[in-house]
Amino acid sequence: MSDHKPKTTNGNRPPRAFGWMAEFSDEHKLLEAARKVRDSGYTDTDAFTPFPVHGIDEALGIKPTKLPFIVLCCGLTGLSLALLMQWWMNGVDYMYIISGKPFGITPASIPVAFEMTILFSAFSTFLGMIALNGLPRFSNPVFTSARFDRATDDKFFLYVSAKDKYYNRESVRELLAGSSPDHLEEVIEDSSPAALPKAVWLGALLLVLTGLIPAMIVLNMRAGYSTKPRFHVFFDMDFQPKKKAQQTTTIFADGRTMRPQVAGTVARGQLDEADSFYLGYDPAKLAAMEAVGNAAKLVSVQDGASPADGGAAPAAGATPPAAAPNTNLPWLAKLPIEANEANMKLGQTKFQIYCAACHGYGGYGDGLVHKRADALAQGFWIPPSSMHIDRIRSQPVGQIFHTITKGQGKMPGYAASLTPKERWAIALYVKALQKSQNASIDDIPVDKRSELEPAAPVAAAPAAPSK
Amino acid sequence: MSLKYDQETVQLPDTWKAKAPLLISAALICLVVGAGLCFVAGKSANVPGVSATKYVMHSYLANFMFLFSFSLGALFFILIQFLTRAGWSSSIRRVAEIVMAVLPWSAVLFIPVLLMLFANDTSLYEWNQSAESIENSVIRAKVGYLERGFFTFRTVLYIGLLSGIALWYFGKSRTQDETGDVELSVDRQKWAGPMVMVFSLTASFAAFDWVMSIDADWYSTIFGVYIFAASMMAFFALMVVMCMSLQNAGKLKDLVTIEHYHDMGKFMFGFVMFWSYIAFSQLLLYWYGNIPEETYWYKVRLMGGWEYFSYGLIFVHFIIPFLGLMSRHVRRHRTGLFFWACWLIVVHWMDMTYLVMPNVPGGLPVLPLVGHFVGGVGMLLMLWAFFIIRSSGVPLVAMRDPRLPEALTYTNPLL
Repeated sequence: MSDHKPKTTNGNRPPRAFGWMAEFSDEHKLLEAARKVRDSGYTDTDAFTPFPVHGIDEALGIKPTKLPFIVLCCGLTGLSLALLMQWWMNGVDYMYIISGKPFGITPASIPVAFEMTILFSAFSTFLGMIALNGLPRFSNPVFTSARFDRATDDKFFLYVSAKDKYYNRESVRELLAGSSPDHLEEVIEDSSPAALPKAVWLGALLLVLTGLIPAMIVLNMRAGYSTKPRFHVFFDMDFQPKKKAQQTTTIFADGRTMRPQVAGTVARGQLDEADSFYLGYDPAKLAAMEAVGNAAKLVSVQDGASPADGGAAPAAGATPPAAAPNTNLPWLAKLPIEANEANMKLGQTKFQIYCAACHGYGGYGDGLVHKRADALAQGFWIPPSSMHIDRIRSQPVGQIFHTITKGQGKMPGYAASLTPKERWAIALYVKALQKSQNASIDDIPVDKRSELEPAAPVAAAPAAPSK
Repeated sequence: MSLKYDQETVQLPDTWKAKAPLLISAALICLVVGAGLCFVAGKSANVPGVSATKYVMHSYLANFMFLFSFSLGALFFILIQFLTRAGWSSSIRRVAEIVMAVLPWSAVLFIPVLLMLFANDTSLYEWNQSAESIENSVIRAKVGYLERGFFTFRTVLYIGLLSGIALWYFGKSRTQDETGDVELSVDRQKWAGPMVMVFSLTASFAAFDWVMSIDADWYSTIFGVYIFAASMMAFFALMVVMCMSLQNAGKLKDLVTIEHYHDMGKFMFGFVMFWSYIAFSQLLLYWYGNIPEETYWYKVRLMGGWEYFSYGLIFVHFIIPFLGLMSRHVRRHRTGLFFWACWLIVVHWMDMTYLVMPNVPGGLPVLPLVGHFVGGVGMLLMLWAFFIIRSSGVPLVAMRDPRLPEALTYTNPLL
């Protein structure tokens, strides 16, 4: 804007006048002049100052902005949208249990609602402000004046537009001159050419072409072939000086990369493999069972089925697997931990944490996960076993321990989450649970029976944990 | 620069001065009658295991916090004015300073609580007994800290620190009335930062000890901030009421303008929001964590009739005043702002009630709450009396504050 060419006539007609602009050296003079102009009835006016001048809005007669209402409406829109979105997502479309919280609108929806309100308000403030100010606008007639540059430095300008309905060239000039400005000039049309310089076009074209290069390379690679080997960006990561499990080596005579265990050593955790406390069955007895092959034994232990089946499935319906006796497997029938109050409590606690989610607090296989899966009705859900059916009730405590350790069917093993002692405690608790659901009056000591008589039938599930 | 003002306009109204003894007696009567009503109603409520004293003590503590929070808010306001070197508030600062300077007097009203502690009373603080006799193991573990000797020591420390800051700032301000020395303002600015830190820790721990420990099993690290947020909101509401009442009595003419009310209104609006933000932050974490020892604080507030009170608070303490104070036209409208200020003082009392009273088992005690309300009115009258006595011979404007001209010509930008 600094090199202003002398105003030339635009074709044959004289340059158009856009209004008058007065220049002042301080804001008080500007405010005074602005009030005068306002009181004379001019409304299409504007002021340009190096800093925000308090009271200029009132002096120019600018009406309070409508922006707050726009922001309020947009903020409320954001709030409603956020609530609607969360209600739809978690309450209707994808009802997913998160930490056992209810569906739809919860206290957890409020931060999101708050953020959306703020986001919509902020955007509407920013964009609304720009729109209400008639922006973006790349040029303004007042820019034609060389003196106007100082509006960003130390001068104050008051502008009366020719578009004002009471505009009269002479009377406005007199009015402004009356407030003794430092300088008064008429704002006239910018005579510089409106077209963009060729260099800009050229630059833009170059930018676009450069931007196309990566896309071209990708397209070329997608469509063409290459005979060269793959390019390795990180060669030493792709080819590391190490051996993998199934590779051979020349270092050892047998050519194996993976080394067998050195004779006479015991690896970490290996001792557990020989102790019935960690297994739930007696390994010595199992090894002694010569009637079946090792693999069949292994499978039978894993499946919890009788090894006598020899891997052949019984005919469907002939003998239900539930009734299949598994006494010939060397399961521990005696609990290796003490059946005392503390272990029972431990078992109850761990059961309610790890097992009850599927099996239910009462062990009937009616836990929350099951109910949820049932409600979804997706068709591939295998319900967790009830612990009160005969098949499970007849299982020795060692087998229950083994099931907890290794898992069964869809149930994963819990060896990583529970110590062996805790697993035994759960087995103890499961046994107690089974007893509680099938107890007869004979199980109660004679001297205690009288305490039961007046009470209602014992509740099915054990009492919820007390606080 | 000194300003020539009619000395008459910055003095307390004569009609007010005469009222002080009457107000004190009325306040005391209200407190006694309120406590009596609480006691009688509590006794007739006949909740098993709840003594009538329990109602009275809880009511007294809630009402004490109601009274004390105004001075607490005033103290922080003054510190912030110096911390930010604010000019706009110079003409209303003295009124806030007087509210701040009654802090030691308000604190005296905590003595009954301490006396009850040494009378081996456990109706308010369950921890006030030997550790062996407490069944709850969590509270038992906290007895070592909460124990009444140390509790009293801490209480004296908190009140000493807060009063010290308040009186030091008030003293400097009064000296400036005489000398007009700018250094006095510079001094107060210099110390504002460290004092804000002292204040925040003191106020937070006082809130933990005095209010949170009535439910010693429960804890919330944001509790101090909650009390602080509520105090600030209540203080600005009180400021609006006080300034308008003084102006209606013909004082502070031209010294407090609509611009100042507009700003106080903005603060009220802001702290309504801040209170909700803090209250919600506490709720959300407990709701999400869903741990019994944390959620039961909300559970007792959401059953037995308290649920209407608690849910009602969301509306009267947040949504309604939030929408009511949103428009600048309301904040610049004297009657409108006065209405909302009164509203906020009442809901602040409700808020303090909500913090303390549900700790009495047996659901919402409607009749004892009537006595509790009378006590709350007594505390307001007490505050007014304190204000009058404290401001006798004290001009209502810091006449020689170097920033006073800025406050008098201050305008809010037109939106």
